[in-house]
Amino acid sequence: MSPLLRQAMTVSLAGICLWSLGAAAWASESGPASRTPGPVPIVAQAETAAPVPSGSQGPTVLPPGGTSIEDLLLQKGSITMDEWIQIRAEQEYSGAESARRIDAIEDWKTRTELLPMLRDKVNFGLNALQFLYSHQDAHVPEGKSQDNFSIRRSELLFWGRISDTLPRWHALMEFQSINFGRETPTGGSGAATGQPIAATFFRESYIDFRPFQSWAPYMNFIRMGIFRMPFGIFTETSGGLRDIISSPYLTSVGSGNGNRTGSAGSIDFLQERDFFVDVRGKLFNRLEYVAGIMNNNNFHANATGANAPKSFYTRVRLFGSDVSWISFTTIQGESNNANTNINGRGKGAFDRYGLDFRYTSKIIPGFMVQGEWWQGHDGSNQTTVGRPANGACLDQSICGGSGAPGAQRRTWYVLAKYLISDGPLQNWEPTVMYEQFDPSTSMSNDLYTRTILGLTYYFENFPPKVQSKIQFNYEFRHHQGNGPGVAYDTTFDAFAQNAFLVQFQIRFM
Amino acid sequence: MTRLYRSVILVIGLALTACGPTQIFPSASMDGVDKNFDFTAWRNVPNAQTDRKVQLGGRIVQANTEKGGLVIIVTQLPIVEQPAYGPKDNGRRSGEFAVVYSGALDPKWLAPGHRLVVIGTTGQAKAVMVDDVQRSLPSLTAQCVHIWRTAGREISDFPHNAGGGYEPLEEETHCVS
Repeated sequence: MSPLLRQAMTVSLAGICLWSLGAAAWASESGPASRTPGPVPIVAQAETAAPVPSGSQGPTVLPPGGTSIEDLLLQKGSITMDEWIQIRAEQEYSGAESARRIDAIEDWKTRTELLPMLRDKVNFGLNALQFLYSHQDAHVPEGKSQDNFSIRRSELLFWGRISDTLPRWHALMEFQSINFGRETPTGGSGAATGQPIAATFFRESYIDFRPFQSWAPYMNFIRMGIFRMPFGIFTETSGGLRDIISSPYLTSVGSGNGNRTGSAGSIDFLQERDFFVDVRGKLFNRLEYVAGIMNNNNFHANATGANAPKSFYTRVRLFGSDVSWISFTTIQGESNNANTNINGRGKGAFDRYGLDFRYTSKIIPGFMVQGEWWQGHDGSNQTTVGRPANGACLDQSICGGSGAPGAQRRTWYVLAKYLISDGPLQNWEPTVMYEQFDPSTSMSNDLYTRTILGLTYYFENFPPKVQSKIQFNYEFRHHQGNGPGVAYDTTFDAFAQNAFLVQFQIRFM
Repeated sequence: MTRLYRSVILVIGLALTACGPTQIFPSASMDGVDKNFDFTAWRNVPNAQTDRKVQLGGRIVQANTEKGGLVIIVTQLPIVEQPAYGPKDNGRRSGEFAVVYSGALDPKWLAPGHRLVVIGTTGQAKAVMVDDVQRSLPSLTAQCVHIWRTAGREISDFPHNAGGGYEPLEEETHCVS
């Protein structure tokens, strides 16, 4: 067989095969249509006979998928089966895509709901970020200024709720004035002179423990750690929610070293924070109580102080309304002047008695007045931190210290403010405060007095969470002296000269 | 001896009073109030349980001023006695309802997040806009509402745990006249 003939036969055979396959395929498609009517034939009929008028065959049998729009269109012959299948395929794809997305979201939701942040186990906020400008009329040593800018507070707060039994953990960090120099650099030297002021990041840290759920709120919880002490009002008010810029004299007043009158030197009458454990609760829905024991050495004692002395304290607060009250506080215990971090409290028996009130008017919304009165004995031989002292000995030549007997100190203040809530002065709040501090009630010529006129503008005011504001305070300060017969010069005494302060604050938590 | 007995009775009486249930609404308003009303059933079929005097608690979602009063949208929360009386968020979502209050309230009491206990009469489902979405919610015509200005926090967080210090919780009862 010649090659040419062989090629012709091969092509012929291939053609026959292809024709056979095509014929078989055509036959398999068209064959059933003629054999069996019903649902399947309808599909075939619709596919093969698009021009056939609708309803001619099988309109009583619905296509798969029910009576959707495309089904109706298909029944009426407006679309072909190809188009119907395409529509359904797109719907199924779209449905699968939606399901996939929902699954992804659900998965993400499940994962994120486990995050401690979303379960209230971990939170953080800005307790107070304050930028302060101050001017004081009192003279200052060479190298210092009467006008100062400073970061007053830069406090970040962390807290959370573990469970009903452990309803709160809390830690407050202070990020300003860490190891700042006490003096400004002199003589072209880059190094600061004097001792560095050692502050600490660590400011507050405590745990709340509620042993019996069914006892709350009558015996609500036990708090242990370091926090603002429940002494009156001001001590326990957050630095980010205070109505005036300066702290009242009841926390600290005076400067320099003590003397035998007990009237001179820096006096820390009430510490704001301390190591303590106490129990808190509420009775009759009107009477709050706190009772506990503390180290009585301020929180700085964590690092350096002697933690030997212990004091008991308690406060009862009787509410006249939800936001108006009167309280009684007492502290009873021992003070220790050896290496103590509380200035001028002496060695031995120590007590404080306090009365405070707040009236928040419901008749004049925005008006509030509050006040505190405190009195108490220090131990004898009061001294200042860093000066020698040794027990309750009153002979200064032997024991060091000031040699002063345990002085009875007394202080009080009244503060009033009015928040303007409408009109052109909306969000402005005028404030006025007057206070006195008597370092020794048995001595004359030692009284501190101060009147503060303040004006606050609130950018945001949703206490206790949010409070952004600018405060202007002018302080009229007066100091009589350091006791009878003691030489005294007001020139450099910051407590005897007026001061002006402006503070910008942000608080958000 | 008589003095001792009197003292003991006084102390016991004070203790019992101190631990008694909290009463936030006037006694007269509480007559006939169902404190254990099945919110879930009502939420599912709002119109099946109308004209029933009930007490419900929750958290304010939003408040709309309408002609003749307010419509306060509230997410329902269970009312608990411990650790502090009032609506407590237990983390489970239960649903919203509308409180129709025919009076005026200072906006400071209507901020989202505040806790609320209401007594009132159930009514027909009400169409309201919540977050720009039209919804049909079961409604309650309020007789009295008690609101805590918690701004999203738990009632038990106050006064010792709301901020970095002591912060009293403002609360007030308002009744329609």
